[in-house]
Amino acid sequence: MFALAFRCVAAAVCVSFGLAVLEAAAGSAEVAQIKPRQDKLRDMGGAQKAINDEIKKGRIDWDNTVIPNAQTIKDRSGYLLNWFPKGSGPESGVKTYALPAIWQKYDDFVKLGKAAQGEAAKLNQVALSKDGNALKAQMEATGKACKACHDNYRSPDYEKENEDE
Amino acid sequence: MEAAFADSTDLRVWDLPVRAMHWLLVIGIGVCWWTGLHNELEYHLWSGYAILWIVLMRLYWGLVGSSTARFVNFVRGPKAILDYATTLHRRDTPHTHGHNALGAVSIILMLGLVLAVVVLGLFAVDVDGLYSGPLSSYVTFKQGRHLAHLHYRWFNFLLWVIALHLAAVLFYFIYKRQNLIGPMISGKRRVDSGDAVDAEMKIAPMWRFVIGGVIVTAIVYAVSIGFYF
Repeated sequence: MFALAFRCVAAAVCVSFGLAVLEAAAGSAEVAQIKPRQDKLRDMGGAQKAINDEIKKGRIDWDNTVIPNAQTIKDRSGYLLNWFPKGSGPESGVKTYALPAIWQKYDDFVKLGKAAQGEAAKLNQVALSKDGNALKAQMEATGKACKACHDNYRSPDYEKENEDE
Repeated sequence: MEAAFADSTDLRVWDLPVRAMHWLLVIGIGVCWWTGLHNELEYHLWSGYAILWIVLMRLYWGLVGSSTARFVNFVRGPKAILDYATTLHRRDTPHTHGHNALGAVSIILMLGLVLAVVVLGLFAVDVDGLYSGPLSSYVTFKQGRHLAHLHYRWFNFLLWVIALHLAAVLFYFIYKRQNLIGPMISGKRRVDSGDAVDAEMKIAPMWRFVIGGVIVTAIVYAVSIGFYF
């Protein structure tokens, strides 16, 4: 009887403690950025992949795939620098690949972010021009802009247990 | 020194393709490891193709290659493996010509894991959308990212098995006084008192390797362009 009661109490304590942590984590506006920012970056990655797949296939569907996805990348990239308010790094306690270096070298981070926005805007123009070779070159330039930031400000895949992203 | 070796002729144990594939695989895995860790995926892709080529060639050579390379000659059942394992502590056991029954398990495990890691990599999607695997267009973004995670997780298993392989080689060298590294370089080992008279390796002709090379190169090329001809 005692053991059972003890277990119930212990479970209750665990649950309420867990809820309190969740509550605290979800509490601030900065932390609230993390999930949507991951979703949007994932959208951009998915759009990037969709265009790359067309290039791989060698049959490029401009109107249904390249143009709308290039638009997605450009639109999302416009908000890129709004998604990383101070406090939305790993210190928030929420699982994130964002490294503290973002806020330590914020000027450089902003520079890379703006460069990526520039490449995304160019990609959008190239998509509208429907020039296959230019698209290939611009996709590489855009990917390199993503990589430039990821290399320094995003923890590598292998350092996280998290499989979702 | 000549006299000391006078009555012990060398015995060929590994042919050139086996040795070359072994050391190229070592280099290839090293390059893949480094480029993977440093997100140099352009070169990671190239070294990955090289590894795929080597593993496929090794599988082919395991069917038609020289006698010590063939799977039928060294892959054993659980009884043979256990029998061999019970002699591990003894120092006076004779050389096995080629892979021993227990070593065969680690060979198969390593080959299988290398192939599995490469295949996962073929479908993996990178985080930059820059250098995804050549077959990544056959999976969704989410699936491809998941496979990228499995790609490095399985690579970690592979590293453990490689560590075990190195530990075993060291064990034979120190405890059993059998140098396994030398023969993997020179292809030859000293004749042992326990050797059967007909122990000599039957070498497969080089043209067979060339034929396999052509076929495997075509396969790897087709994979690298995602089968979009």
